[in-house]
Amino acid sequence: MQQFLQQLVNGVVLGATYGLIALGYTMVYGIIQLINFAHGEIFMVGAFAGLAMYSYVLPESMQGNPFIVLPLVVLAAVVVSVTVALIVERFGYRPLRRAPRLAPLITAIGVSIFLQELVRLFYPGARSQVSFPRIIEGPNLELGGVTIARTSLFLLIVALGLMVALQTFIRTSRTGKAMRATSQDPDTARLMGINTDRIIVLTFALGAALAAVAGVMQGMRFVSIDFRIGFLGGVKAFTAAVLGGIGNITGAMLGGFVLGIVEAMTTQYLLGSAYKDVAAFVVLIAVLVFRPQGLLGERVAVRA
Amino acid sequence: MATAVADRLQASFSQPVRLAVGGVGAVLVLSGCLLPWATFFFGFPGKVTLAGFPGGSRLYPLLLAAVAPLLAVSVEGRRRAGLAAAWGIVGITAFNIAAIGFGRSLPLGLLEERGGGGLGAVAIGAWLTLAGGALLVAAFASLRADDERPFHPRLPAPLELLAIAFSLGLILFAVVIALEVDETSRFISLVAFITVASMALARLGVFTYVTDLFDRHRTVTLAAAAVAAVVFPFTQGGNAYWIRVFASIGVFAAAAIGLNVVVGLAGLLDLGYIAFFGVGAYVGALFAGAARTTVHVKLPFLVVVVMGAVIAGLFGVIIGAPTLRLRGDYLAIVTLGFGEIFRILAFNFDWLTRGPNGISGVPDLAIGGYNFGATNEVLGFSLPGFANYYFVELILLAVVILAFTRLNDSRIGRAWIAIREDETAAAAMGINTYRLKMLAFGIGAFMAGAAGTVNSHVTTQVSPDSYGFLESILLLAAVVLGGMGTIGGALLGSAALFIVPEKLRSFQDKRLLLFGIALIVIIRFRPEGIVANRRRQAELHDGDPSSGDASGAPPGAAVVGAVSR
Amino acid sequence: MSVSVSTDAAPPVLEARGVTKVFGGLTAVDGVDLEVGEREIVGLIGPNGAGKTTFFNCLTGMETPTSGRISYRGRALSAKPHRVTESGLARTFQNIRLFPNMTALENVLVGRHCRTSQGVLSALGRGPRYKREEAEGRARALELLEFVGMARHAETLARNLPYGDQRRLEIARALATDPGLLLLDEPTAGMNPQETASAMQLVRRIREQGLAIVVIEHDMRFIFSLCDRVAVLVQGQKLVEGTASEVQQDPRVVEAYLGKPADDG
Repeated sequence: MQQFLQQLVNGVVLGATYGLIALGYTMVYGIIQLINFAHGEIFMVGAFAGLAMYSYVLPESMQGNPFIVLPLVVLAAVVVSVTVALIVERFGYRPLRRAPRLAPLITAIGVSIFLQELVRLFYPGARSQVSFPRIIEGPNLELGGVTIARTSLFLLIVALGLMVALQTFIRTSRTGKAMRATSQDPDTARLMGINTDRIIVLTFALGAALAAVAGVMQGMRFVSIDFRIGFLGGVKAFTAAVLGGIGNITGAMLGGFVLGIVEAMTTQYLLGSAYKDVAAFVVLIAVLVFRPQGLLGERVAVRA
Repeated sequence: MATAVADRLQASFSQPVRLAVGGVGAVLVLSGCLLPWATFFFGFPGKVTLAGFPGGSRLYPLLLAAVAPLLAVSVEGRRRAGLAAAWGIVGITAFNIAAIGFGRSLPLGLLEERGGGGLGAVAIGAWLTLAGGALLVAAFASLRADDERPFHPRLPAPLELLAIAFSLGLILFAVVIALEVDETSRFISLVAFITVASMALARLGVFTYVTDLFDRHRTVTLAAAAVAAVVFPFTQGGNAYWIRVFASIGVFAAAAIGLNVVVGLAGLLDLGYIAFFGVGAYVGALFAGAARTTVHVKLPFLVVVVMGAVIAGLFGVIIGAPTLRLRGDYLAIVTLGFGEIFRILAFNFDWLTRGPNGISGVPDLAIGGYNFGATNEVLGFSLPGFANYYFVELILLAVVILAFTRLNDSRIGRAWIAIREDETAAAAMGINTYRLKMLAFGIGAFMAGAAGTVNSHVTTQVSPDSYGFLESILLLAAVVLGGMGTIGGALLGSAALFIVPEKLRSFQDKRLLLFGIALIVIIRFRPEGIVANRRRQAELHDGDPSSGDASGAPPGAAVVGAVSR
Repeated sequence: MSVSVSTDAAPPVLEARGVTKVFGGLTAVDGVDLEVGEREIVGLIGPNGAGKTTFFNCLTGMETPTSGRISYRGRALSAKPHRVTESGLARTFQNIRLFPNMTALENVLVGRHCRTSQGVLSALGRGPRYKREEAEGRARALELLEFVGMARHAETLARNLPYGDQRRLEIARALATDPGLLLLDEPTAGMNPQETASAMQLVRRIREQGLAIVVIEHDMRFIFSLCDRVAVLVQGQKLVEGTASEVQQDPRVVEAYLGKPADDG
């Protein structure tokens, strides 16, 4: 029982990262029906940008102080991720908006490969694992027999907070309404005076920012990162988005947590860690085949 | 800004002025290419230090200067062709100047050769060529595009056949030259030259003309190509290196053509295709009586090939059944997932696949006492053992190409294309889209399986890392960048993906980076690929001002065309 | 208020009863009955958004009706579009859905798909049976292009055809499936009077070939001169059905199209 609860908690923490990345996928898909294949690398780049801030920009004296380190690292990650995402949108996807599906997909794959290689070649030591500062120091917490790292708890709270903030923003603000309108019917939205291009840019930016935070989170939790985390993280986050119902923001969050728990459970009870990635793929396939609209399904256009 | 400058040139240059400028430019290029480009001391490779003949990369601007006469002859497309060539001259020369001057210190460690003597090491020849190129650019920019006359020569049949032979010979010659070039900087210059020259020829309509020729004399073209392919190993003088390369390219191309059925004909996005190739490879390796293996059964080669193809095909059907009802992007991700699952399973199922070590030591084929591995004397030529595998691969390729061509031009092929164009309308016309998609997927998997089985003998070992996502992308790139739905495209794409990395060996580490960039750039500017399927080209350049049917269709057609997408 | 024209004991070509389609909160088609007899031309009219195309989609399986029974020549119709076509219903689309990068001939050949059977092995082997079927297919396709008056455009890409020819091509393609019932969705939309007249001629000739036709139209001259019966759909419901003149004079139809007259004074 203890083990079960522990895995549950592990899964939830794992799922928080997936959920944050999944939000980016789901928002972009909701608005332009494109699976932003390169989003996983945005997550990875964010992590490295944060690390770079810590290792190269921050003076040594300040490195121990989490109240200075954390905001700066996150800021660096967000700035770099958003910039990259916007460049990709502007020069990679926008010109191909009318092209058949294959074109933006290949562009995304190209960008993904390019970013991976860029980091692998030019970030010192990135060819293998690079260590990432823990930032939040302190012993693990024990709650009812379940161990949870201080960092993990902090991250969980931050993730939930961000998700709620995003939900609120989209539901109540004027821009949020414009985003929803654009995702439902871009032509009409344009006729109503909404600058759809700017909304799309904003969508990419928000998704990238969240992914950047997730990247820093990943680094803090595992104390190391490498250039490959984008690929796997990306596919799993996409699975989470689909699981929750692509285009649905609450769904992305929910999907993330569910996937995290499923992964933790299968690793512990079923297949062992060698196959933990398989779990995610199986979930993806199962969802798309049996319930393509996902748990909270909104947009149903998954069937051909 | 470019158009403003062009406008000013067009306004100020009259024909005599233009001819003068162009003439001087051509002369400068000619003389510049005959003079040294680098001073002797720095010994920049590529023979650019000698005068009197256009050695090394100097040959290319010299050849490109051949467009100069077009300034006097008003042929359709000459302005854009001339501009392409002229900018090519400028670009190639500038690149070489940079290489000579800064060599090793160029970004990305571009050239690990000697060089880096500073601009002072650059000799007069290069500067003359650069200036000449600039003048040619100006001269061609000053042309107006509207005074060009179309030029459609119609030669009598024997001359046409000669033209075909000449074109094929030229392509072969270019390939051989490309293979010979050793230094990175010269190879880059060569690639640039080929690109620019192709653009120029295309803009003059030469490609359309030649493709038309090929179409009309199809049997001759195919026969000639086949002969060239069969004769090739005999020209290598016992050296197996390039035979190996082409054997690998051939297998890769066979898989690419299989993928072409799935992606190019039926329009299904498959990102995990390599898994079928991998299945075939493992089957091939397991039943070949390999040295380090888990299945100690050895079956005859042909049986194994069929097994590999069939088992892969079965997997295709199994995977396709639940997933082919999904929309395009989702299908892509799901197939990606399956591809990864295959790799993970191959990695972990030690009892069957020997895990990360894979199966190795696949023995040479021996069919009826004829040992494939040994060097043989045939017709007075010594053929290295590998040539036998080359011929096996050639047979495989021929079979796959034949199958593709016949399927393409058939009831099934039309149904596939209809599904790709508009799946709902296809269903409304009585096509069972699900079943046909399964058929495409299964056949593609079958072909990949066959290719994989042959490959296991070519590479004598199989392991999980050879069949990952990157390999799927490489296959997809070969198909898409080469030209979707065309055989020539798949062949060219496969060749490029093998040869270019080989040649850019000094870029060792950065090859993937460049690959990523290449994907982005090509899909942006030439999404139909190198060898364009004419339909596809029309489909992708719908909005361009210069596209459009010669019959002058009224605007309604374009509107409806966009709506019916 | 159905007026059935078929007098023989054979089942009607089309019998649709209570066809309803609900999308979330919107009832697009509400309990529509329609019967079509041999060689009848039935017109389907109504203001935009009345559910006419959705009704067609329900008949052909492109949408699954929420409820209702549809049968073709007495046999219940499948819900899968390709089976519907195999049974004998063919259609054209309001927005023209040709295969843009295939030639006119190829487009029509696609229509022949469900009436031919050469499969993969046959295509690979290219035996005599294959060659014969291909030749027959091409001949039939050219015949159909001739029938609609487009034989000279056989090798033109569909995307490059003028608008009127595209509409005709769509009809030829539908006819290639050897249907017993043809559903035409606004065949004369965007046409000038000459084109409309020749379209009308074409429809007459199609009826002479033995097909029954249901046509959605807004052009009243078309409806008047061609249709044996007319059904009026308003807000998903069948308001009226009868001969063209009966329907035209029915006050409810006038109101639906033009609205209630303003009170004088």
